[in-house]
Amino acid sequence: MPTATAVMVGMGDIHVAKGDAAYNCLGLGSCIGLVLFDPTTQVSGMIHVMLPETFPGRPVDKVGKYADVGVPELVRQMTAIGAVSSRLLAAYAGGAQVFKFGAGVESKLDVGARNTIAVTEQIKKLGCKVLATDTGGNCGRTVSVTIGDGNVRVRTVNNGDKLLCNLRG
Amino acid sequence: MSQSTITIEDIVKKTADLPTIPAAAVRVMQAAESSTSTAASVAQILSADQSLSARVLRLANSAFYGLSRKVNDLQEAVVILGMRNIKNLALVAGTYPWMSRPLPGYCLGPRAMWTHAFGTAVGAQQVARVSGKVKDDVAFTAGLLHDIGKVAVSVWLENKVVAILNYANREGISFDEAERKILGYDHTQVGEHLAKAWNLPEDLVAAVRWHHSPDEAPDNPPLVDCVHLGNYLTMTMGFGLGGDGLLYRFSEGSLDRLGMKAVDLDQTTDTFVESYEQYEKLFEELVAA
Repeated sequence: MPTATAVMVGMGDIHVAKGDAAYNCLGLGSCIGLVLFDPTTQVSGMIHVMLPETFPGRPVDKVGKYADVGVPELVRQMTAIGAVSSRLLAAYAGGAQVFKFGAGVESKLDVGARNTIAVTEQIKKLGCKVLATDTGGNCGRTVSVTIGDGNVRVRTVNNGDKLLCNLRG
Repeated sequence: MSQSTITIEDIVKKTADLPTIPAAAVRVMQAAESSTSTAASVAQILSADQSLSARVLRLANSAFYGLSRKVNDLQEAVVILGMRNIKNLALVAGTYPWMSRPLPGYCLGPRAMWTHAFGTAVGAQQVARVSGKVKDDVAFTAGLLHDIGKVAVSVWLENKVVAILNYANREGISFDEAERKILGYDHTQVGEHLAKAWNLPEDLVAAVRWHHSPDEAPDNPPLVDCVHLGNYLTMTMGFGLGGDGLLYRFSEGSLDRLGMKAVDLDQTTDTFVESYEQYEKLFEELVAA
């Protein structure tokens, strides 16, 4: 049974831990909640990404806000406490968008879809294995992760609480 | 799905605990727009409401303004904070008690409606600043009040929201369109009714009424566009999302009319969140007691 107290992963936050841990990402609209886990070293981490990329020439106040620098930073912090990037298992949810967007990503307004693409690209580049995703649509999501039992759960108003995947297989 | 026979008038008449804005807050709003108001006259209005006066003084003395000495005088506080800040403060203090209640009809838990309204206020203010076409404090007010109709409609939607969502998804329509199909009206129309009953200025009534359909607003006032975009920023950042989630249409016309480009919106989102977090801390402190 998981015993760790859940850490609230707010916008742009990055949290990492070794051993038992739990994370909550509340009220995801277009943002993405991404969890990574190395089953060998029991190192885990979560990020709450807001936007796909940093802005040229603008200082970055909080790395975790942006997928292009935030996801690599999450992996860096995890490897610093023992994780191996090629062993990392990934699960993520969010990336919703307002109604009637979503056929393509031509529109710069489609931030939910662009966040999803940006996170997916970074994970691929870093060599992590994606276990499950729940992205798109028009609903807000809450993601809860308990490393103790490996469960990643997603709650929406329409579909209630469901198990997205188990990080321990 | 058959349409409800309850009219907007019924909703307003039969709903217990309908929201109101404290008289002092309404008078401060009017005073802020009047050229004859002075710090002394606004302080006098505030002094009629002890709770509001105490909050104004607490804000003036908060770390946000970083004053080196304590301010005990209301008139001095009005001078320090400025008339327009006082107006927003009075509105926040006056609406928080009922906006922070849960609205089960929209699957909004305690404080969720407040978070969404406050987010839209800060978002609309941000858009007003970027566009330069609307006074930012007026945009804040309109954003704060944009969803007042939900407070009245909520009780009539209880146990129906999932059915409405399923209906909207099945028919491929937005949430407000589904409300109109099922109830015969949506929360913006009920909100308009309330806003008129409160004698709010016409531009605010229009912002409440047209925030989901700004292209249909007579004469397309820029304030409606600011609230539409503020609401969009708030929904995408997930502030106070309910069962209706992001199931609303976006009008690119609002961007065009405000002279903004889609490519600028990510940066506006970024500054919006920074601004939201800063204000949230400030106002949390204020409404806590």
